[in-house]
Amino acid sequence: MNMDRQKPSAFKQSLWQMPAIIALACLIGLAVNQLRPNGLPLVGDWSQGARFSDATGDSLVVSLETAEQWFRQERVLFVDARSHKEYVAGHIRGALSIPWQEVDRYFIEAVERMEGPHTIITYCDGETCDLSHELALFLKEMGFENVRVLVNGWTLWTQAGLPTDEGE
Amino acid sequence: MYHTARIVLGLIFLFACYDKILNPGEFAELVYNYQLLPDSLVNVAAILLPWVELALGLCLVFNVWVPGAVVVGNLLLVAFFSSLLFNLARGLDISCGCFSTAPGEEAADYLTVLRDMSFLLVSGYLFYAALLSGPPAAQKTGRLQTETE
Repeated sequence: MNMDRQKPSAFKQSLWQMPAIIALACLIGLAVNQLRPNGLPLVGDWSQGARFSDATGDSLVVSLETAEQWFRQERVLFVDARSHKEYVAGHIRGALSIPWQEVDRYFIEAVERMEGPHTIITYCDGETCDLSHELALFLKEMGFENVRVLVNGWTLWTQAGLPTDEGE
Repeated sequence: MYHTARIVLGLIFLFACYDKILNPGEFAELVYNYQLLPDSLVNVAAILLPWVELALGLCLVFNVWVPGAVVVGNLLLVAFFSSLLFNLARGLDISCGCFSTAPGEEAADYLTVLRDMSFLLVSGYLFYAALLSGPPAAQKTGRLQTETE
């Protein structure tokens, strides 16, 4: 075969083409990102406070200690953002169920019970679970001013041995 | 067959990157929700990945640097597919960042798996055709290498 002296094999070509493609893409991507108006910071703020903030950028996060304190003082209303099935299996004592994934339906039923001078605290389960955050933003849009988020609420609450209920 | 596959895969990458380039913030949230990278690398990945896809898509569609594009494309698709399977296995729902008590329930998950598998089939075939087998592919891709001919 006289192919060999004519051109490098496809495999050999790939060896320089791979870094070339990646380098070119990275250079252009980086340049565009730095120049565009909605470019991302190279290292993002993925802290809890940043991830669970409201429209103005203020953090909605409330600590377990504060949540428990307000609970004891009976000035809080918990709202469970998880699925209804998970709520029935166990929820923070006194909490309402507004599964984020069915929010329209459950919110209408629950809204009357939500009025009052208390602080609303939404929660779901898991450090990265965003349901509570989405629900909190929604509630603020609906006009509730005093809304906070207890991140990883269900796990923290149960691990601390705080009061829970089961059923509807 | 080879050229059809090449163009199909190229178009797949072009369609995939389009939204990610236009909405980097949303894509960064998706990358974060996969919970596979350290927080400090999330934005860099979200910034660069779509452009790599764009480059791959253009290379494949316009028949430029195809061997390199095919290898990088395969690596990328294998990485995406593995990430998908890993998160399915640990029950992480990337749309909300929640670990569900009943993982893998959603029909949508299986559809995504099938979709990614079909992409892998196309790119796997191209890997074979462009790099492992002989003349037809090599001649086409060798064109840029050998001006002296």
